[in-house]
Amino acid sequence: MCQHCKDSSAPNPSHFEEGDGLANSPAHKEMAWSEYNELIQGMRFFDPHIHMVSRTTDDYQAMRQAGIVALIEPSFWVGQPRTGLSSFKDYYSSLVGWERFRSSQFGIKHYCTMGLNSREANNEPLAEQVMEILPLYIYKEGVVGIGEIGFDDQTPAEEKYYRLQLELAKEAKLPVQIHTPHRDKKRGTERSMAIALEHGLDPSWVIIDHNNEETVKSVLDQGFYAAFTIYPFTKMGNERMVKVVEQYGPERIMVNSAADWGISDPLALPKTAALMKMRGISDEAIRLVTYQNAIDAFGKSGQIDVSDFEGGLSVEKTEKFHGNSILRGGQQPDVSKDSLVIQ
Amino acid sequence: MSHLIDKTLWEIISQNTSDTESEWLTEKGKASPIELMTAFVASPRFLSKKIVNVEIEEEKALTDAVAGFSVNGWSLVRLSRVWLLTQLDETEKETFIKNIETLFDTAEMNELVALYSALPVLAYPEQWLFRATDAVRSNMGFVFDAIALHNPFPAKYFSELAWNQLVLKTIFNDKPVHFITGLEERENANLALILSDFAHERWAAGRSVAPNVWRLVSKFMNEQLLSDMKHLFESRQTQNQEAAALACYDSDYAPAKALLSSYPEFEKSIDEGALTWSNLEFTDLNTYVPTLQR
Repeated sequence: MCQHCKDSSAPNPSHFEEGDGLANSPAHKEMAWSEYNELIQGMRFFDPHIHMVSRTTDDYQAMRQAGIVALIEPSFWVGQPRTGLSSFKDYYSSLVGWERFRSSQFGIKHYCTMGLNSREANNEPLAEQVMEILPLYIYKEGVVGIGEIGFDDQTPAEEKYYRLQLELAKEAKLPVQIHTPHRDKKRGTERSMAIALEHGLDPSWVIIDHNNEETVKSVLDQGFYAAFTIYPFTKMGNERMVKVVEQYGPERIMVNSAADWGISDPLALPKTAALMKMRGISDEAIRLVTYQNAIDAFGKSGQIDVSDFEGGLSVEKTEKFHGNSILRGGQQPDVSKDSLVIQ
Repeated sequence: MSHLIDKTLWEIISQNTSDTESEWLTEKGKASPIELMTAFVASPRFLSKKIVNVEIEEEKALTDAVAGFSVNGWSLVRLSRVWLLTQLDETEKETFIKNIETLFDTAEMNELVALYSALPVLAYPEQWLFRATDAVRSNMGFVFDAIALHNPFPAKYFSELAWNQLVLKTIFNDKPVHFITGLEERENANLALILSDFAHERWAAGRSVAPNVWRLVSKFMNEQLLSDMKHLFESRQTQNQEAAALACYDSDYAPAKALLSSYPEFEKSIDEGALTWSNLEFTDLNTYVPTLQR
C-alpha cells in the first residue's frame, strides 16, 4: 500500500502521502477495537480536523456512537485540480450548507475553517479570484478559523497566499489552522511559524497541524497549539501519540483524524483515547487532548457554544442552533446494520 | 418595499435588541451594498441568539401589509437579516438583483432561510421565482421549510405545477400541510389526483399518509377518490376514518354523502363540531421520523 504510494509519480493527495519510513514496520497488534471501546464509555470527543464530504453515513453513525459530538471540517482540495471559481464557491457553500445539515442529522455539531489550500495557491489566476470571494465566507456562522492553509511544495505562490490569508485572519479575528508539508516537513513547519509571527499573529491563535516527534517541541516552545493527525501509514500512529502525551503532557496538544478520501479512520480520536486510557494516561489529560484544547483554541473565533453539543445534539439543540422554534430538520433514525431485511 | 413592513420590522427589532445591537444594525442598514451584505453574513457575530417576541398589533400590521407574512417564532438574526435586505438599495434593478443573487450563491443554511423568508417583501418578486422553486428542491429541511411553510410567496407566484410540487413534497416529507400559506385557495383537481396516486404507492409499500392531507380532495371527489375514502374507512385506524368522513362531509359529490351516511357516528360528530380537520393536524416538522406512520 505504502510502497505503492512511494512509487507513484502522480501528485499525492493531501493527507494520503508517501510514508515516513515507519510505515514499513507497522506495529500490527491484534487488539480489536470492539474489545476496548468500553474504556471510553461516557467520554465526549471533538475532532478538530476531518473532511466529512468524503465520508459516508456509516461513518457519521459510528462516530456519534463512539462519542464524537462535534467536529471541524477544514476546507482543502478536492483531490484533483479545480476548473474554475464556481467549484470553490460550491465547495465552500457545501461546508456551511449541505454537509453541516447532514452532520446535524446524525447528532454531530459541524464547524468548518475556510481557506485557500496551499496546493491550490499554485494556480495563481484562480487563487486571485478565490481571495476575492473568501471574505464572504469567513464571517459566516460556525466558521471557526482560516484553514487549512500553509505550505505544500513551499513555492513562492504558496507563500504569497499564505501571507494574504494570515492578514485576513487577523482582520476577521479568527484562529488559523496550518497544514504542514509532507516533504521537508521540519523546515516547512519552522517557516510557517516564523511567517505567522512576522505578521504579528498571537501564537495561541494558531494551530500547527500534522505534527510529529520531530516538530512538536519547537511548536510548543514558541507558544503555538500542536495538533497531531492520527492517520494510518503516513502520519502519526496512536501508539506514538500516547508517547508524545506522556512526554509533553496535555497542554496545547490536540488530536485529530484528518479522515478524508484516503485510507483514514474517522474513529481515530476515540481509538486513541482508549489506547491512552489503557496506557494509564489520566482521564483529564485525555479530555484535554481529544476535546477541550480544540474547543479552547478554535473557540477564540466566538463561534463555538458548547451548550450546542455537550449534552448531545438533540432535536431541541438543533432547534436552538437554528434559533427557530418552528424550523426543525429531524435526525436520521438508527438503521440496524445487522439485519438482512431492509425496510 | 412597503414602508409599513420596513417600519414594523424595525419596531420588532428595536424591542428585541440591546442598544449596541440596534446601533450596529442601523449603521449597517445605511452602509454601502457590499458592507450591508457582509453584515447580512456576519449578523450572528453581532446579535444574540434568541427568538423574537412579536406583539399582536405588530403581527397584524405585517399581515395587513403583505397577506400571510409573519415573523412569529423567528430568531433575531433571521429577522434582522430580512430587515437588512429591505434596506438594500433597490433603485437600480440590475445591481439589486446581482447583489441578492450573490447572497444566494454564497449562502449557508441559515442565510438561505433568511433569504427565502424575505421573498414576500423583496422588490421585483417575479425575479425570485426560480430561486423559490429551487428551495422546494432542497434536501435541507430548514431551507425547504422556509419556502414551503408560513411563507406567502409560493401561493402568490407559483404556477400550478410548481405549487403542486411544493404541496406534494411537504406531504412526502410528512410535514404539516396546514402550515402552507394559501393551501385552501390553491387547491386543484390535479393535486387531488396526484395525492391519490401518491397514497396508493405508500399503501403498496405498507406505509401510510398523514390523514390531515385528505382535506385537499373534497372539492374534486370522483369515483377514484371515493374508492380512497372507502379504503380509509376500512383501514380501522380512527384518524384515517375521521379524515375520510371530513373529506366526504365537505364534498358535494352525492356518492360521497351516501358513503358518509353509512358511518353516522362520524357524521354526527362533524355536525356537532366535535370533529374538524384541526383534530388531525400535527405540528412536528421532523422530516425523517414521521410520527403518524404505521
